[in-house]
Amino acid sequence: MHKDSTNVGNKAVKIVTRSIWYIVLSVLAFIMLYPFIFTLLAGMNTSAEFGHAGALFPVPEVPQFGNLLFMFTPAGLRPLINTFTRTAWYTIVVSLMAILMGYVLARYRFRGKNFFLVTILATQMIPSVLTLIPAFVMMAHIPFVGGNNWMGMGGRGLINNSLAIYLPLGWGFLIWVFLFMQSMKSLPRDFEEAAELDGCGFWRTLFTIIVPMQMPMIAVIAVNVALGVWNDWLIPFLYINDIQRSTLPAWMGQLVAALQQFGDRDYPRIFAMSAVAILPPFFIFLFLQKYIIQGIASAGVKG
Amino acid sequence: MKSKALKIRTRGWREAKIAYLILIPFFVYIAFWNLLPLILGVLLGFAEYNALSPPTWVGLRNYHRFFYSGVYLPLLWRQVWIGALCLGVNTVLSFAVALALNTNARGRGFFRASFYVPAVAAVSVTTAVFVSLLAPFGGGFNRFLTSVDMDPIIWHHSQFWMVFWIVVYFVWRAIGPASIIWLGGLQGIDPSLYEAAKVDGANFRQRVRYITLPGLRFVAAFIILTGIIGAMQMFDIILFLTAGNPFGRTDVLMFRIYRYGAVTFNLGMAGAAGTILGIVTMFFAVLYFYHMRRREEKENA
Repeated sequence: MHKDSTNVGNKAVKIVTRSIWYIVLSVLAFIMLYPFIFTLLAGMNTSAEFGHAGALFPVPEVPQFGNLLFMFTPAGLRPLINTFTRTAWYTIVVSLMAILMGYVLARYRFRGKNFFLVTILATQMIPSVLTLIPAFVMMAHIPFVGGNNWMGMGGRGLINNSLAIYLPLGWGFLIWVFLFMQSMKSLPRDFEEAAELDGCGFWRTLFTIIVPMQMPMIAVIAVNVALGVWNDWLIPFLYINDIQRSTLPAWMGQLVAALQQFGDRDYPRIFAMSAVAILPPFFIFLFLQKYIIQGIASAGVKG
Repeated sequence: MKSKALKIRTRGWREAKIAYLILIPFFVYIAFWNLLPLILGVLLGFAEYNALSPPTWVGLRNYHRFFYSGVYLPLLWRQVWIGALCLGVNTVLSFAVALALNTNARGRGFFRASFYVPAVAAVSVTTAVFVSLLAPFGGGFNRFLTSVDMDPIIWHHSQFWMVFWIVVYFVWRAIGPASIIWLGGLQGIDPSLYEAAKVDGANFRQRVRYITLPGLRFVAAFIILTGIIGAMQMFDIILFLTAGNPFGRTDVLMFRIYRYGAVTFNLGMAGAAGTILGIVTMFFAVLYFYHMRRREEKENA
């Protein structure tokens, strides 16, 4: 009898705390998602409707898709394509780099291995402020391009050249080499030794034995690099002035920075562009969330 | 006997050859794009260069100006306190979120995802929403304030409000990753420890003090360490949300370095200020690193 009543009491307390939990988290989730709701709504306004700056909930009377479609006209499409190619390029390069370097560092024995390991870890401590502006200066002084002479003077170098957003390889990416190396340690050597006895060379062993077994880790690397590069507005923003050679987030950066100055602004178009820029990473997140979270978790534990 | 030794040696040589052939090209390429600018940046600090006329060597003048002109030290200090505010608020709130998400209730996956979504969108994209909402006349927030019969606030004229919104944006964007790292730490603690403590009669506070907090030490170190390095170089939010307003009172050193480097081409000063900010950042990082190490040794002893 007594036991029953406490059970009922416990249950009531449990239900109340659960409800509070749901209410509080729902409110928080709404706050977190609100800017995205705003973006979608505002992107479908007409300029007149949105007015000078828009309401808290700029619900359009008649949803307009003209600004969204603008992204797929020749003027808007080019930066979008650039963002895709740049993301794909760095994803492939960094994944390959992590696989190759990580494999060799984890499995092979050679002189100077410690030097490579220590260097990789040391670079992770160096703040990027030390290289940001000098890298920009260096870009402008690469010899023989953009009107530069052999001394690297006289022209603009790689500034405003499409190559400028594909060539640089920041040493921040080396963290993925380290994480791939770590994940190699949990893989037994038996498979490679068997493959080697069967006469497999370096490349065969790596790409037919190791890579298929390391697929989860490679997915973690690829997804996180892809997100980071897609959202990297700064490098294209610094190196490229011409929108047609730049990327969508960098273009957005120019538009948003200009909002701080006086002048005309077309908010609905900006928000329609935002929506397009957010969608690809949003879908990556939706379907590959597992790998993103594993990425932060492993960086958190080992980094 | 002899042939076996030879085999091992050739095998070792083969491995070394492959390793060098892979590592050295990558290292050289990365050194070109990173080490060279690092050296160039330090050299720039000793020069005056505006990208038009050739650079001239000015010795320590840029550094002297940094410390004695009264312009740059306040910027550095502002970088530190605004960064510390962002990081502190985010660390505490993300821990609270992690505690709230550390259940097995239905829907926690959705809530976890909603906290993380802001981090997968670019800063240059999501700041537009805040700029629009904060517009002084007819912005979303002021429209709301007038609709509930309150006076509109000219956010951009107040240092307090601008810093407030910088912190809000920072936390909005960074809370997801931080709380997921916290959550990983919470779930990494062996549940049998709590059981054992309960059997030994430890109350809730003691369990938190002696099991939860020590178990989270490394996670906390990671969040704060990476947070310091990030916050000391934060300028993107400033650039897009406030542009340093009101009257340069949210201008931080990193924003100034960016402007010198890419807008006004005061490249010598950008090099000197960048070198100093980089060293200060590394100093904070190393200081914190050693602090954690010492505490750990003390507790192990």
